Parts: sequence; C-alpha cells; structure tokens
Amino acid sequence: MLQHFELQVLLAMLRQGRETYSVPLVLALEKHTGRPAAQAAVFIALSRLEKKGLVTSRLDEPQAGRIRRYFKISRQGLAVVREHRVEHARLWRGLGRLLGTSKA
Amino acid sequence: MRWLFRLLVTDDDRRAIESDLAELYEWRRRQDGERAASRWLRRQQLAYPAHLLLDRLRAAFSKRVATMPDLWRDFTYSVRSLARTPALATTIILTVGVGLGATTGMLSVVRAVLLNPLPYADPGSLLWIYTDNPPYRFRFSVVDYRALEADHPAFSAVAAYQTTSVTLTEGDIAERVTSKAVTGSYFPLLRQTALLGRVFDQSDDARGDRTVVLTAAYWSRRFGNDGSVLGRTVNVDGVAHTIVGVLQATDGPLERDVALFTAARWPTPTRKGPFFTMVLGRLRPDVSPAAAVQMLRASSARLFPIWKSSYQDEKASWGLQDLKSRVLGEIGSTLLLVLGAVGCVLLIACANAVNLLVARALHRGRELAIRSALGASRGRLLQHLIVESGVLTAGAASVGLVVAVFALELVTTYGANYIPRLDEVRLSTPVLGSLAGLAVASGLLIFLGGLVPSVRSSRLGMDRAPRSGGRSATDGPAARRLRHALVAAEFALATPLIVAAVLVMASLGRLRDVDVGVDTARMLTAGASLPGARYPGVAERKAFWDRTLERVAALPGVDAVALADSRPPADSGNLNNFDLEDRPTPPGENQPICTWVAASPGFFRAVGLRLERGRLLDSHSSTDNVVVVDRAWADRFYPKQDILGRRFREGGCTTCPWTTVVGVVGTVKWTGLEAPDEGTVYSPFVDLPGGYLVLRTAGDPAALTATLRQAMRELDPGLALSSIATGDDLVATSLAAPRYLSVFVAIFAAAALLLSVVGIYGVMTYFVQQHTRDIGIRLALGGAPASVRRLVVVQGLRLVGVGVGVGVAAAFFTARFLTTVLFRVGPMELSSIVGVPVALMTIAAIACIAPSHRAANLDPAVILRES
Repeated sequence: MLQHFELQVLLAMLRQGRETYSVPLVLALEKHTGRPAAQAAVFIALSRLEKKGLVTSRLDEPQAGRIRRYFKISRQGLAVVREHRVEHARLWRGLGRLLGTSKA
Repeated sequence: MRWLFRLLVTDDDRRAIESDLAELYEWRRRQDGERAASRWLRRQQLAYPAHLLLDRLRAAFSKRVATMPDLWRDFTYSVRSLARTPALATTIILTVGVGLGATTGMLSVVRAVLLNPLPYADPGSLLWIYTDNPPYRFRFSVVDYRALEADHPAFSAVAAYQTTSVTLTEGDIAERVTSKAVTGSYFPLLRQTALLGRVFDQSDDARGDRTVVLTAAYWSRRFGNDGSVLGRTVNVDGVAHTIVGVLQATDGPLERDVALFTAARWPTPTRKGPFFTMVLGRLRPDVSPAAAVQMLRASSARLFPIWKSSYQDEKASWGLQDLKSRVLGEIGSTLLLVLGAVGCVLLIACANAVNLLVARALHRGRELAIRSALGASRGRLLQHLIVESGVLTAGAASVGLVVAVFALELVTTYGANYIPRLDEVRLSTPVLGSLAGLAVASGLLIFLGGLVPSVRSSRLGMDRAPRSGGRSATDGPAARRLRHALVAAEFALATPLIVAAVLVMASLGRLRDVDVGVDTARMLTAGASLPGARYPGVAERKAFWDRTLERVAALPGVDAVALADSRPPADSGNLNNFDLEDRPTPPGENQPICTWVAASPGFFRAVGLRLERGRLLDSHSSTDNVVVVDRAWADRFYPKQDILGRRFREGGCTTCPWTTVVGVVGTVKWTGLEAPDEGTVYSPFVDLPGGYLVLRTAGDPAALTATLRQAMRELDPGLALSSIATGDDLVATSLAAPRYLSVFVAIFAAAALLLSVVGIYGVMTYFVQQHTRDIGIRLALGGAPASVRRLVVVQGLRLVGVGVGVGVAAAFFTARFLTTVLFRVGPMELSSIVGVPVALMTIAAIACIAPSHRAANLDPAVILRES
C-alpha cells in the first residue's frame, strides 16, 4: 500500500526524468507543494519505496566531489503510479461539478 | 543525537545523507542567508533520528500485531483495567520508567567511559610515557623523546605529539582549530589508516614536508566529505600546507576535538626542556610493564649526565601508565557515584510500585475469583497477570527509553568538558539490551511482589472472595509485612543518597567560598595566538603586543589591560622546577616545583592583585632577570623571613644566571579552586607567540566582548581571538564539574525522597483503611482522637526509623567512598549524619499527618453500624 507522501516522492522522481538523489527531490517537492519538505522524510520514504521494490538505488562515491545515493524508479514503481492515476481518475469522475471545479 | 543516527543508519547512507544535507544547507544559505540556513540544518539534524525511529516502530508494529488473539485480548483487557486506576498506572510507569531510563543512561556512560577498551587496535598494550617526578607527572622534553626513540627495547614502537591551537585558512575563511604535530611513528603505532589519501609514516620525519592530515569529523564538517580535498593547499598559522590525507573516522580520546595533524618539525634542542611533548609507547608482548619501567629508568639514568648542565634533577626519571587510565583520570568514582544514585532511585521506584500493587491486589483478588468462577483456567489467569505486568513494564521501558535518550543527551552536552570519552557514548544495542534486562528485572519484581498476592487471594474460592467486603489474604500479615518492609527499604535506600547529596552540596558550597585571590567580577580575558609566518621573531611579536596593549587600553570602558600565559582559577599551563641559592637541593633529591605564570607589568593592576612587599615587574624585569612571587611561595620556602633578594636557578639549569625575587603579592588560585596553595612565581611575559589578554573593565566585562573583537580585527584581520571569558565565567567553568555532580545527585536524592514519602503516605493511608474497625472501637470506648493520631504517626515513624537506621549505616560507607570527590568535607560531617535522619523522620511524620487526621475524625457510630 502506497502512502500519500510516498506517491508524492514517486511523482517528483518522475518529473526529474532520470536517476536522482534526495536534494533535487526536496526542492521539487517544496516547489510543487508549496510546503517545506524535510530531507529526512524524503530519504526515509525513498528507503521505504526501495524495500517495496518501487525504486532502486546505488551509492556513488566519486574520488572527487560529494558522496550520493542515487535512486531510480523501477518498472513496478511505474506500474503502481499508473494504477494510482487510473484509480484516482475513476474516483474523481463526476465530482468536478459537485465541487464546482469543472463543467462536466 | 548522533549516536541514535549512527545506530539507525548504515555508514554509507549516513555519509550520503550528510553530504545531501550539506548541499541543501549551501542552497539555503544562498537563498535565505547564513542564520536561517543554520537554523534549518539544526532542525534537520534533530528531526532525522525522530523520523528514523518512528519509521522503524511503524514497520515493527505493522508486521506483528494480531497474530496472537489471546495475547492481544489480554493486552487490551490489561490496558482497560489499568485505565480504571490511572493514577496508580501512571505513577508506576513514570517512576519505574524514570528509574530505568536514568540507570540505563548512566550504565551506557559507565560502559563506554570506564569499561570499554579504548577504540584503538590492541589497546591494552598502549602506554603513556612520562617524566616521573613524584608527586608530579610531566610530559617529555624533545631531548627525552629523541633519546627514547633511538633506544626503546621495551616497546615495539614509540611516538610523540604536541597539541596546539592554530588558525586554519582555506579560501577566505579563517578558523581556530586544534592541531596535533605528530611524529611519523604516531599513526603506525596506533595502527590507524587513512580514509582518503595517506597518513604520515616514518618517511615524513625525514622529508619534513609541510603536509596535513585531516580528521574525518573535520573533513565532513568543513569540506562536506569532498573527496577532492587531497592535494589542496591550506594555510596553517599563515604557512601553506598540502592536504595529503583524511584519517579514518574514530571516536578515540586522542582525536577528540582535533581538526588536523601536521608532521612534527621540532628543532634540534639545545637544552633539556621544556616538557610539552606527549609520548606514547606500544609495549612489546614479551615485556611486562614492571620490566618496561625498569628499562625506562635505566635509559633515563643514562641520559641524565649528558644534559646535566640544563637539567640537574637527578631523581626525576621516566615512568609509564596505561593509556586508558591516563585518559580517564579520576572520573571513575564520580561516575560510579551517579550510577549508584540512579540505581537506588530505580530500586526505590520498584519498591514503590510493588507497594502500590500490593494495595491494589485486594480488589484484584475479587476480580480474579469472579473470572475463575466464569470458567477462566489458572493458566489463562496467570497469562493475563503476566501480560498486565508486562504492559506496566513495557510502559515503563518506553518512558525509560525516552529518559535514557535525554539522560545521554544531558550528560554528553553538560559533561563534555570534564568527562573523557563521551564521544564514544551512544545508545547502542548492548545499552538497549541493558535497558531490556533492567526492565525485565523490574517487571519480575513488580510481578512477584504485586501479583503473587492476587493469585493467593484467587485461591480463596469464589463463594468467599466475590462477596467479601472485609479482609482477604492480601491484607493478611504476610502482605502487610511485605508492604512495611518495602517502605523501610525505600528509606534505607534514600538515606545514603540524601546524605551523599548533602555532602556533595556542602563541598560545592565550600569550593564557592574559596578566595580566588583576584577581582574576577570586572575581568575579561581572551586568548590570542600570533601565526609564526607573519610574526616570526621577537621584534615582530613585541611590536604587535605593544600595539595591542596600547589600542585595547584606549578602548572606552577598559581600566587596565595586560598579557599573561595563564588565567585564574584553573587555567595554568606551566609548572617549573628551581633550585634555591641558599637552600640547594641535595644530590638525588627532587627540586621544588611550583606554578609559573608569565605576566606583563600591568597584569597585577589588571587583576586587582595587591603588592605586599618589594616591587612589581616592570619593562626591565626580563633583562634584570627578576620575578615576583606570591605569599604562599614566600611562606613555603621562607616562612617569617625576609624574602626580597632571594635567588634561584630555574628549570634545573646549572649554568643559567640567577633569578632574583623582587616582590611579593597576594596568593592566587591558578591550578583549581580545590588545589592547595603551593606558591606561584610571576615571570616577565617576554613577547611569547601566544597568550591571554587580561582586561579590567569599568562596567560589565561581557559587554566589552564585541568592542575587543573589533579592536583586534583592526589590529590584524587575520587574527582570531579564542576562548573569550569573563573572570566569573572562568570561576564558573572551574566549578562546573562539582556543580553538575551535585545537581545530578540532588535530583536523584529528591526523587528518592519523594518516592519514599509517597510510599509511607500510601502505607499509612492503607493502614488506616485496614484498621477502621479497630479505630472505631477505640474511639467508641472513649479513646481520645489525639491518641489515635499519635498511634498512626508512631506506627509510620517506626517503619521509617528502621529504614533510616539501616540507611545511616549504609551512608557511612557511601560517605567514605565520596571523600575522593569532596572538598573540605569529612565523611563524618555532623550536618548530614545527624541532620538527614532528623529531616527524614520529620518529613515522614508530616506525610503521616493526613492519614492520622482521617483516622482521628472517623465516626465510631457509622463504623460500628457498617461492620
């Protein structure tokens, strides 16, 4: 079962479009949600997603420069995000008029 | 919280997280400024362990719940049952929890500091080698080390280092950091390797390159774990050095607070002294420490004639001590005292919990009998009871975990300056194991003490117990004796603890009363160190110090300013030996030794030190070779004699010119408030490369800090002032260790007292409840309410008296153990030996007053009708 924040992290990863690490994700989440995101929460969510098989990671330890753990969304992760999108779309269908956000 | 972080995250992830945090910090610094970014970073560093812990707990719970329906049912039933008596459950969980947490915290400190071996390879063979001049132990001189390095049959390796404070500049950021100049054998001796690049080895001694090895902690903090630092140039005290490596991460005491290592470049000595070099040795496996001492003494004796002209103290030899006991010093007794105190509090909390549960067992007996009558098997009931005590213990252990975390945080924050090896303290698996062990032991105590009476009462049979409104097995003589014994035990444990608290506080009070000898209220001090590159010679240094004194003296609010190499009351770096002209030390005897303070002429006025005889130092004192001594020095060597004009030769030098005493000033504490006055010599401050500015201010000295910094920046922008402190700060720092000890012991003593008072109050309330009918009859037969009051109070005091009596006997032993940490307080101190039992009896009597009132105000008619 995917938690709300985990889904947000996956979506932020998709936006990056390539393997990424916690810093761009924190900044992207802050930009798109308008709320501060704790780096700890992002890193832990990524670790949890990795345990669920939804992302993969590798440690990059260059001779020069910073040590980073890079994460990449897995095929299973992509499938879960798609499922969520479909499920949400179904649930939203017909609600726009009630909430006054759509003419449909 | 670093230890928690390390416990929960792998090393790789930790490094990646630290690197990411550093990058985000940089981003925020650019966006929001330095202060906001620092605040953000601090918040993130605090939030990390909490996030991780919550994540782990959530994962653990989601896996395991609901696989055991019976246990789950018992668990929910227990929680509901305990919720019906919230005061009792909360009291037990909180008191036992605090006891568990504090004991676990102290156990982890004792384990890390006292019990664990030092975090170096084969730590048992590591030794500190020193100049043995009883009762003093000095470091080595470079001459001694060179001789030992050339010939050390007892050791597989020897190494030396000197610790200094340097200004490290990289780019446009200058920072004061601690540096160690080490010999090439230092890292091989400790068997330490590099995390990046290389560490020094013997070839560095020969090459003499200007190179630097960073500690992993400094590399992480200053360079964000950047692997490209190798080969980069940094300025150490204005001299360019190349970074050649980063030392592996270590929590060892030798690396504590150290930022970098440089390769030692000690000039060839022309005399034996000064004694500033720390020497380490690794004992060969086939040599015993005793044999090693003999070999060291023989080497020292062989060396003595060679350097006799500059050092004639023939009795001073070489000695060794294992490195761990050197690092620990005398902290062991203090830590064990605090551990004993928290252990007592835990035992008292358990006794109190049992006491409360025994009282509750009266109702529990009836409840269990009803459940038994409804078909519950004995095994099922037992499981329920175990689960219930488990719930209490788990609650207490959870509180304990939180308390342990805070206790560790408290000790590592406030004890950092005087407890060694605190870097190694963390909430590790063994510590959590000890918390679990203690919790299980406490749970067993609670289970056996509190719940066995319940089982006994359930055996009564359902026809009696459910209906019984009177006494059951739980208020029988056995349960009553148990409760009384528990209250007596609580007081027996609390008494020595309170005696210890009184003695430690009395000691602190006496330390506070010690006269420092100078006016600390208007004193401001700040350390300054002149980089060798820009101030290479005496002329440059003299010019700078003269300019500084002139500039600072002109600052508004400054009455006087001077330079010294030491600060009262406990910051004196130098001891020196000397030979009096008219009382020469006989051959084979130790020369006298005393504190040596280098001071500029204005020093005495700046600290408010009164001249008693002769004259003070002046600008010619250095060339005239004259010194000023204090009253303690005069009384030690020339009691009731004329002292002016007396001469001595310092440092064991036989060919040096005579030094003449020209004045006597009041006695000042330089080596600690508790240290005896063994005399001080004030020599002229001869343009040293580093020292303290000592200011006498017109108003609040702390208010002048910013002005002083600004003035120094104007004089030399590259010079960073270090350890700025007012005179009162310095006194407070020297009192920190006894103050923290007394605060800790006082908190635990207060907790013990509170729990014991709650215990006696509960027992006497219960006593009145149980004897309601007897009291009613007594009152009905014409007994006076006052006699009933007396009966209750005397009954209570009898219990307390037994406990206090045993406690006083225990206090004698505790007090004897305490003498090592006390100042001018004898173990037989009357105030505590007499005062504490009297105070305890009085407090217990007050606790008994409420139940005694309740007993005296009972209405005999109502009681007799009900019964």
